[in-house]
Amino acid sequence: MSHKLSLPIALAAVIAPTLGHAIELAEGRLQIHGFASQAVVATSANRYYGNSPDTSLEFTELGLNLSYQLDPNWLFSGQLLARRAGEMYDGSPSLDYALVDYAFLSDAERRLGLRVGRIKNPFGLYNETRDVPFTRPGIFLPQVIYYDKVRNLLLSSDGAMLYGDLFGPQGNLSLTLSAGQAVIDDNVEWTYLGEDFDGDLESDSASWKTASLWYSTPADDLKLGLSAILMEMSFDAGAASPLDAGSIEVFDWIASFQYNAKDWTLSAEYARTPTRWHDFGPLFPFTDQVMEGYYLQGAYRVRPDLEVMARYEEGFADRGDRGGRERSALTGGVVPRYDFFSKIFTLGLRWDIAQNLMLRLEYQRHDGTFAISWRENPDPGDLVREWDVFAASISTRF
Amino acid sequence: MTARALSARSLLRWLSLLALAAGCHVAPIAAQELIAHPSAEIATLTRNEARLYFTLRLKTWPNGRLAKVFVLPDNHPIHQRFTNEILGLYPYQLRRVWDRQIFSGTGQAPITVDDEQEMIQRVATTPGAIGYAAVPNEHPDLRVLQVR
Repeated sequence: MSHKLSLPIALAAVIAPTLGHAIELAEGRLQIHGFASQAVVATSANRYYGNSPDTSLEFTELGLNLSYQLDPNWLFSGQLLARRAGEMYDGSPSLDYALVDYAFLSDAERRLGLRVGRIKNPFGLYNETRDVPFTRPGIFLPQVIYYDKVRNLLLSSDGAMLYGDLFGPQGNLSLTLSAGQAVIDDNVEWTYLGEDFDGDLESDSASWKTASLWYSTPADDLKLGLSAILMEMSFDAGAASPLDAGSIEVFDWIASFQYNAKDWTLSAEYARTPTRWHDFGPLFPFTDQVMEGYYLQGAYRVRPDLEVMARYEEGFADRGDRGGRERSALTGGVVPRYDFFSKIFTLGLRWDIAQNLMLRLEYQRHDGTFAISWRENPDPGDLVREWDVFAASISTRF
Repeated sequence: MTARALSARSLLRWLSLLALAAGCHVAPIAAQELIAHPSAEIATLTRNEARLYFTLRLKTWPNGRLAKVFVLPDNHPIHQRFTNEILGLYPYQLRRVWDRQIFSGTGQAPITVDDEQEMIQRVATTPGAIGYAAVPNEHPDLRVLQVR
């Protein structure tokens, strides 16, 4: 575990259980919340959140946020996040979001407002709070849609978002539209270019646009959503880069379904991501692909504090080449074909020991290695096609 | 679940009609009451409005005052009954909405109190407050809201 994280973890471990619930000041208008989580991950092969073949503790999440409702119209909020995830994230604190929200209009029929700042992207069922263990369906999100290896592409953007809600007896409709600049990092470069070349991959200014539309029945039993992101990135090639200064266009959309009953919840999502690479030169093998991913997930609450979850998911680097043969051939066979798909079966158990303390156990069976990071597994020759994951996590919140 | 909820609702309506016809007073099944500070200046809420207040998507009373929402812990029996019977939701759904707001910075969560006594005391002394209680309430600084 990195030294950067040991102090905050020790602090969180001491503070969180004694708090019981959130810190509230100014009659609840100023609220401070936080969470801390530590997972242990073991795999039969391949590196997944650290050196998992030898059992990894390198999956740690810490968050601390503050929100202030100045008056009915103005809300200010911000969150610091420290996340250790194998070779992908080293645990340095980062600004997860920081925004000002102004509601122009708010009554029992409708709501209209504007958010400005660093804003989480309401993409799919889980993206907005993807790093908060209590809000996830398992230790790992369905990786074929919520890739940790490119999480920053989906995560948030610096810009402005318009939001609107309609509340009615037939149900609620919510719409968001945003424009800004994506907060991308080295993982995105590893995933889209194959490694961290000399030079920087950057989001073009205001090139990121998102839209989301959600419908839910009045009692929230049925929830349907469509969300999309459109973005362009430019690679500013350094002198030592074998690649030319090219650009990448990504369009990512997702359809979401969820049904909530007393004892069970059924969720399914389907996502497709057409991607184009321009002008990277003769050494770069790929020009376009349509990534695809989907899953079906059921959760059953045996007791209010005990939940069993099962999920099956499939993801493909290119839906026109689901077996990965053509793409493997493009690399001259260096990258095996099973690195272009992932089929994952997950079985999980969640036990809420107390309102602020959660224990999870999870098993995954993987066929293929598309879901895992090249940064963590830089040598394609070492990849193993069929592998198992055993994981446990303990999480606290206030 | 929808079919079950619908049939439960129509059964209730049928029972209350029967009770009215018999000239009896209809008591709410578990004496669940929605309570508010008098400064809210309101006597009734629709179920949808009650849901909007308790999910903190509606933040003001019709008179413009900021609403302050109080709840008991998720696993408290009164919270579970209130959520099911008055709001028509399951406690895990409320928790999910609050968590999304708290951890994405797009909203806040209600103030959690430890027991019913604290609930009554906080709602009675906080302008704009709304909460709930299981026992019929005679507190002079509380209004009991009817849910239509």
